[in-house]
Amino acid sequence: MEIVVCVKPVPEPETRLRVAPDGRTLDAEGVKFILAGYDESAVEQALLMKESVPGSTVHVLSCGPAPRTEEVLRAAIALGCDKATWVEAPAPFASDPVRAAGAIAAVLRSGAHDLILCGKQAGDDEAGLFAGALGELLGVADLGFVVDLRWDASSSRFKFQRVTEPGVERWEAAPPLVVGLQQAWNDPRTAKLPNILKSRKAPIARAPADASGATPSSEPEKFELPPPRTGARMIEFKTPEEAAQRLVRVLREEAKVLS
Amino acid sequence: MPDFSLSPEQESLRDMARKFARTEMAPHAAECDKAARFPDEIYRKAFDLGLMNLNVPAEYGGSGLSLFDQCLIVEELAYACGGMTTSVIANCLALEPILLAGTPEQKERWLKPFCAAYQFASFCLTEPSGGSDAGGLRTRARKEGDHYVLSGEKCFITNAPHASLFTVFATIDPSLRHRGITAFAVPRSAAGVIPGKDEEKMGHRASSTSTVRFEDVRVPEADRLGGDGDGFALAMRTLDQTRTPIGALATGIAQAALDHAAAYSLKRQSFGKPISEHQAIQIKLANMAQAVHAARLLTWHAAWTIDHGAKGTLESSIAKCFASDSALHVADEAIQTFGGYGYMKEYPVEKLLRDAKLTQIYEGANEIQRSVIARELLRAYS
Repeated sequence: MEIVVCVKPVPEPETRLRVAPDGRTLDAEGVKFILAGYDESAVEQALLMKESVPGSTVHVLSCGPAPRTEEVLRAAIALGCDKATWVEAPAPFASDPVRAAGAIAAVLRSGAHDLILCGKQAGDDEAGLFAGALGELLGVADLGFVVDLRWDASSSRFKFQRVTEPGVERWEAAPPLVVGLQQAWNDPRTAKLPNILKSRKAPIARAPADASGATPSSEPEKFELPPPRTGARMIEFKTPEEAAQRLVRVLREEAKVLS
Repeated sequence: MPDFSLSPEQESLRDMARKFARTEMAPHAAECDKAARFPDEIYRKAFDLGLMNLNVPAEYGGSGLSLFDQCLIVEELAYACGGMTTSVIANCLALEPILLAGTPEQKERWLKPFCAAYQFASFCLTEPSGGSDAGGLRTRARKEGDHYVLSGEKCFITNAPHASLFTVFATIDPSLRHRGITAFAVPRSAAGVIPGKDEEKMGHRASSTSTVRFEDVRVPEADRLGGDGDGFALAMRTLDQTRTPIGALATGIAQAALDHAAAYSLKRQSFGKPISEHQAIQIKLANMAQAVHAARLLTWHAAWTIDHGAKGTLESSIAKCFASDSALHVADEAIQTFGGYGYMKEYPVEKLLRDAKLTQIYEGANEIQRSVIARELLRAYS
């Protein structure tokens, strides 16, 4: 099976975010970008699929600037992906999910693929547009919110579930298929130390994105950090009864959530 | 000139160790400390990820890391739990004599099968009658034909109850002192190898420590590491290699203590404001930060020196001694920052003090490090 997984470098969750001088984007200076969240689940799914279907290969692609894009591709190789393609593009281009999907679709058109995996949305902007755009551009069926994806060899179809608000749906679909995966239904593995060392020397194919014809699908107008949290308030008390009385009074008279 | 900016590869190694330490080790650190539990399942995962035989070259199934890269990993592991780290890295110490003195045939025979599976090795130098005075050890190795017969007792041996392989230092003639000491690789399966019961320890309680008795253990001459009488120099060369990661281990404990203290100081209120706004606490944190930073740089410099082919005895002794003294001091100040809460086992900082203490004692007590430092220093003046 030819498996593709698309990943996006996102800021490490512990990063202290700052707004760039243009007031519209994240200041990337000093920010560490990693493979995380939904994309980590997608890589894990790709590797599980490869392990369950003998003879499979996993091709990882990412669209973005140096050095962050190369780093997430090497992280994916260290986890077990077989080959990698870096679709080179400046950060503003790559952060537009539709344009990034276009650039990656341009690379994928030249090969045959059975399964194309992505996180259902990126861990940073959470746009959730990439998988749909990629499916559309490739003319391949795409589905989001997917968990527990398996290959049923007897029917030659994928079987999976979609977790949506009303409930869990059971699906099956024939290849090729683009899938946007839910996070953390699987337990993403940690790269082994020798594989990290090997991944540093692994070849990475480069494909410059053609930015000429693509018009932005959207452009950021303003980027603001959430306001700082206001302090919690401690209720002083000597006995549990007093604590309860004071809490009820605050809820009734100040918060007005009790009548 | 050393350049301590980390390469992308080094950052990847450090990040992997950090992730393992914080997701697999840290959640169990308090529980293992309390129950003195040896968390076999965590050590098995560490082995699977390649975190256990860091110094063994890849051709023998280890990770083949430079000393510098070993230090990056050890600091991250120790940040989560000093005791687990001691057990995870003990193979590096036990296997180093084979790496240094083993013939190609011995390395092939001992290291390859050892590193291919999850198992422990123990370094057996210290004895009940002395650790620092290694030249005066009493375990005997009597030559009988093409065998040696080992008899004696070792103590404070890390991982001994779980070990399948021991590197043992014994004397062929006590009257020869240093010149009689000889090293051997001895499998647990050899008749007469008897590990004792787990010791109750002050800290590093997720690690396992016991005596090992050798009751007329027959060891083939082919399992001697180096020649007769080469053992003392081999032990010292081994410790020259492994002392520096103890500096990293101590730095990890110290960094954890500083992080806990700083975070607590921002939350804890006294006199109407966070205690981080009191100058007494600020001075404490500033001094702690200096100690941690200096400990890390001394450790990195010692590792860099040895990686560049120098013996590094002075540098590694300075690093180990300073980092371990700093860890104890920083953990102590972290407790003081927490006040009464710091003294309670419910909070994480008192464990750091107990764990830090051992780093001043093992792999060469700091008194020995200071005498080494003074000897190297005075040599330059005489």
